[in-house]
Amino acid sequence: MYIFHFFLRGEAMLYSILKSAAVFLLILIGFILILLLPREQEITVFSAFHVEADYPFSFELYKERIQDFTVYIVTEKGLGDARSGRPVSEESAIFVKRSIKIILPAFMVSMLLGTLMGALQFYRRKKFSGKLQNFLSWLFSSIPDFFLFIAIQYLLILLMQQGLPYFKLYGHENWYSFLLPLISLSVFPFLHMSRFTSAALENEMGEEYVRTTYAKGLGDFKALLHMLWNCWSPILNQAQLVMLYILSSLPIIEKLAGYNGAGKELLFSITSNDEIKALSLMLPFLFIMFITIILSQIAKFWLMPKGRA
Amino acid sequence: MLLLAITFAGPYLPFVDRELTKITYILNEDKKPVIPPYPPSEEYIFGTDKSGRDLLSLIILGAKETILLVACITGLRYTLAIPLSFLAHKKWMGTHLFLKWLNGLLSYIPTIIIVMLLAMLPPFLLTEHRPLFLLLIIGLAEMPRAAEMIKLEFDQISSKEYIYGGIAAGASPYRLFRTYYLPFLFSKLLVYMVTDLGKVMFLLGQLGFVGIFISQDLVQSMGGDWQLVNNSISWPMMLMKAFEDIRGPIWIPFFPAFAMTCAILTFNIFAQGLKSFFTKKVRYI
Repeated sequence: MYIFHFFLRGEAMLYSILKSAAVFLLILIGFILILLLPREQEITVFSAFHVEADYPFSFELYKERIQDFTVYIVTEKGLGDARSGRPVSEESAIFVKRSIKIILPAFMVSMLLGTLMGALQFYRRKKFSGKLQNFLSWLFSSIPDFFLFIAIQYLLILLMQQGLPYFKLYGHENWYSFLLPLISLSVFPFLHMSRFTSAALENEMGEEYVRTTYAKGLGDFKALLHMLWNCWSPILNQAQLVMLYILSSLPIIEKLAGYNGAGKELLFSITSNDEIKALSLMLPFLFIMFITIILSQIAKFWLMPKGRA
Repeated sequence: MLLLAITFAGPYLPFVDRELTKITYILNEDKKPVIPPYPPSEEYIFGTDKSGRDLLSLIILGAKETILLVACITGLRYTLAIPLSFLAHKKWMGTHLFLKWLNGLLSYIPTIIIVMLLAMLPPFLLTEHRPLFLLLIIGLAEMPRAAEMIKLEFDQISSKEYIYGGIAAGASPYRLFRTYYLPFLFSKLLVYMVTDLGKVMFLLGQLGFVGIFISQDLVQSMGGDWQLVNNSISWPMMLMKAFEDIRGPIWIPFFPAFAMTCAILTFNIFAQGLKSFFTKKVRYI
């Protein structure tokens, strides 16, 4: 009987993963279609002093570009070579690897520490320290990450003028260069998770099972554990949002930091109308989002009691 | 207690801002032979930018334009989102599926990337009404999310008894919307909108770093190339050169970003204040 049940759950899980995969494919096609909208300028030279630039935009051109693109993908059996002669995918992999160094820790910090911090905040909600934490996390979550980054830079520059040992604030060459972007990038999702967890726990306060826990003679801590176990669904739902937030802010922060990662390159390739490169850098991002969604779904099936998933 | 104080003072904060705008209506345009970007000093509390303009007055003068832009975008977003969410709630002609798909797209691709891709399209680049189109694009970019939120509210309200009463009384869909849904939605909508003001400000800041602004003019340069030229003094614009400035006169991006942070904080305090105001009214305690 149990095995049968497990089988059913497995089937439900597979179904939901397949559904997510289909959605992912649809979104990928949608993104490529947006990317391929004609945006190149056509320069006609009439004479040495008469040059006209025009942006032709018509449906035929759009169709032609889509055809060109598919032919290109088919003939190159991939994304082809970059201007430097190396395959585009190989070149992008270098940038993506650099960005992963920021994305993964930021995600982990936000999800794990954020949830923990939220539980702690809930646990101390009646004490002064808990209230202070609540206020501070609300205050800091209003601060945009780009300002946080600039403010940290400014502060460090001022401190260095006062005698703090010098270290490089920009670039990606040093082993510590990813730390500053990482910090300014993870503050908001971390606080968001902490606030969300605490709010989710507060919603569970009036549930019957909490009373049962106390009736069994278990303490506050055990009750909190029970409640946390019931909050997994909304908490795991936030994983996608946290990842999206990290990926949206990554390009700006990378550009500000002079950190040569995929985000910075993506911005550059979009402004210079290099669709193939933009696609090769955006694909990993989309894929990371997809993996996040799949993993959070699997985690939900694992953690949640039967019937509530 | 502190939170309560700020909460009640919150609604008045935006007006404080506005009064300040009127008082200091001077733009300090003095170009000394010394290199123009001056660091923050006693004379220029925030320092000056590269053409020697006082950053503090620049920020205060730019506030009006910036806040107006933010308000326009948010207003536009909600005027589109409310009808769409109502239609989606009614499941009219597959609107709900359309909304779901749009939200799926937005939950994968960062808004800033979408806005960048759309804003650089030729039809929007070349028209004389570029500011208008850009307002529309930025407003539309996050519109599905707002619509989804409002749709959920609709779904929740429509399960209440008095809605059935309205239907039984023979109210038309419009009347149902106007007199049965809207009064109850109003408070929630207001809170959402004020919260969104902060989000729009954040997005505008991000776009500022990338170099996309609402008020841009397209000018043909010597090489026959089209270039975007900025002639506004709104805050995001001051962030455009941030990548160069951050290595030298870091105060130039710092203070506009600081002003944006303050504005976002104000909007959030305002939203919090409204929220507690409305919930108090409902509780009767």
